[in-house]
Amino acid sequence: MFLKHLHLQGFRNYPDQALDFMAPTTILLGDNAQGKSNLLEAVLLLAHLQSPRAGRDQELIQQGAEWAVLRATLDRQPEPIDLGLTLRQNGRRSMSRNHQPVRRQIDFLGHLNTVFFSCLDLDLVRGGPAGRRDWLDGILRQLEPIYHNLLQDYQQALRQRNALLRAEVVDPEVLQLWNGQLVQTGTRLMRRRWRLLHRLAPLAALWHSRLSQTQETLEITYAPSVPTSSDEPEAIVAAFWAKLEARAEVERHQATTLVGPHRDEVVLALNQTPARQYGSQGQQRTLVLALKLAELHLLEAVLGETPILLLDDVLAELDLKRQHQLLAVIQDRFQTLITTTHLGLFDPQWLCSTQILEVSQGRLRPSVTPVLGLE
Amino acid sequence: MSTVYTRPLARLIDRLQRLPGVGAKTAQRLALHLLKQPDEEVAALAQALLEAKQQVGHCTQCFHLSAEPVCEICLDPQRDSAVICVVTDSRDVIALEKTREYRGLYHVLGGVISPMEGIGPDQLTVQPLVRRVSQTMVKEVILAISPTLEGETTILYLGRLLQPFTHVTRIAFGLPVGGDLEYADELTLAKALEGRRPLD
Repeated sequence: MFLKHLHLQGFRNYPDQALDFMAPTTILLGDNAQGKSNLLEAVLLLAHLQSPRAGRDQELIQQGAEWAVLRATLDRQPEPIDLGLTLRQNGRRSMSRNHQPVRRQIDFLGHLNTVFFSCLDLDLVRGGPAGRRDWLDGILRQLEPIYHNLLQDYQQALRQRNALLRAEVVDPEVLQLWNGQLVQTGTRLMRRRWRLLHRLAPLAALWHSRLSQTQETLEITYAPSVPTSSDEPEAIVAAFWAKLEARAEVERHQATTLVGPHRDEVVLALNQTPARQYGSQGQQRTLVLALKLAELHLLEAVLGETPILLLDDVLAELDLKRQHQLLAVIQDRFQTLITTTHLGLFDPQWLCSTQILEVSQGRLRPSVTPVLGLE
Repeated sequence: MSTVYTRPLARLIDRLQRLPGVGAKTAQRLALHLLKQPDEEVAALAQALLEAKQQVGHCTQCFHLSAEPVCEICLDPQRDSAVICVVTDSRDVIALEKTREYRGLYHVLGGVISPMEGIGPDQLTVQPLVRRVSQTMVKEVILAISPTLEGETTILYLGRLLQPFTHVTRIAFGLPVGGDLEYADELTLAKALEGRRPLD
């Protein structure tokens, strides 16, 4: 897929900016706090209706503006798609697809697919399990937009069950019913996470061995809160009930749900040692890059289209060898948006075929050096 | 607001705006409209508000809104008292009555089981329902409750409780009438598939 056109109004520090993408690779060049990452954020919002950094829509709307409008035109099979998203100060959103209003998120999601790689992604290796669960959930939402609803159902069942566990008197029959809801909605998540990691792990291991060129082997294992050895629903349901029963006493005592996919973990190990403890920063970076490339190729294989790669300030952090490896993968096959503060680290020959835009205080203009393409 | 509207008008607009579905503009339009009406009209509205509030309570049998101890639906001899349709609130009774398809009685639960809102079976009219079903000749209980997570939980709860006494069914959900299969979203379609039934 190819993002052809983007138009932002009242979004972050962009009062009104239209932009045509002219080359497979676009470099957004500028000093810090000029709006480079905001542009990637806009693409992410149109893709997932979620921002990686803003909690509330108010933060996304330009100061003094009542609303923000984001529009994109996307070339993809079988037909090009127009997506529109309006954000308002009061938090209400409206979405449109091909200029028709769309009421439900599920009808909006899944058209624009992205893989986002920022310097914060090192937390995938270093941080807690929540970040890794979010990562899985983000991929699953793109693979099947219905996952978004399944996740919401599970979270609602979890909130209801937690509220019940906090009550002074817990009706055992009612608890049993919410257990049933937790098992039913949770099993749907677990099966999908299990299947995803089953496909993602070998891809990531392959990329890791190519990138690191060492004997280190990367192993990614799904370590669900409810132990399971397959994605058979019956097996998961039985294991889920058994674990709920085993933990019932502790859950009552702590008044919160301790069993279920909200406690899942994904273990990343290099040569059987948890990657968090294992490597240097460089090794951890290589690992994250391998995860992202695996994600890119998996999305392409499943969706039958190339997702858009968004690289937020990460290229400069990679050494030249890894940079070349990454650029070789991208070639002209994946549309890529890259933010950077300086061009010095890029291969000059490669720069010739890219569109370079200078970002300054919420305005874009073609860089004085190579290719252009602005309205 | 106080500088734009004189005080009593501001108060009226504020009151109106607290009503569901009424925003600032609608509230202003309603208030200005009321001010233009003759005194009797406004008095009649105020009277109607007070009287409705004072006089309308719940039917002691089915808990539908009623000014009498027992509502008109429950008293109607034409209706089939062996069938009870269980709904979440009175709005659902009104919606079902408009279909003119249903000739049985109702039972209004007053909500669905939701621990987050502190609503359990004891906060709903579950006990009176069980009494009704166990003490009178009820052939069928139809659960007409929305298939949300909380609704489903309530359906499961009532099913377990009532099945020893009577035949319990739930309304079908899924495709809208006249809907095209192709255009149904996958969630609805999955639900419809789950609720399939034999051809009769």
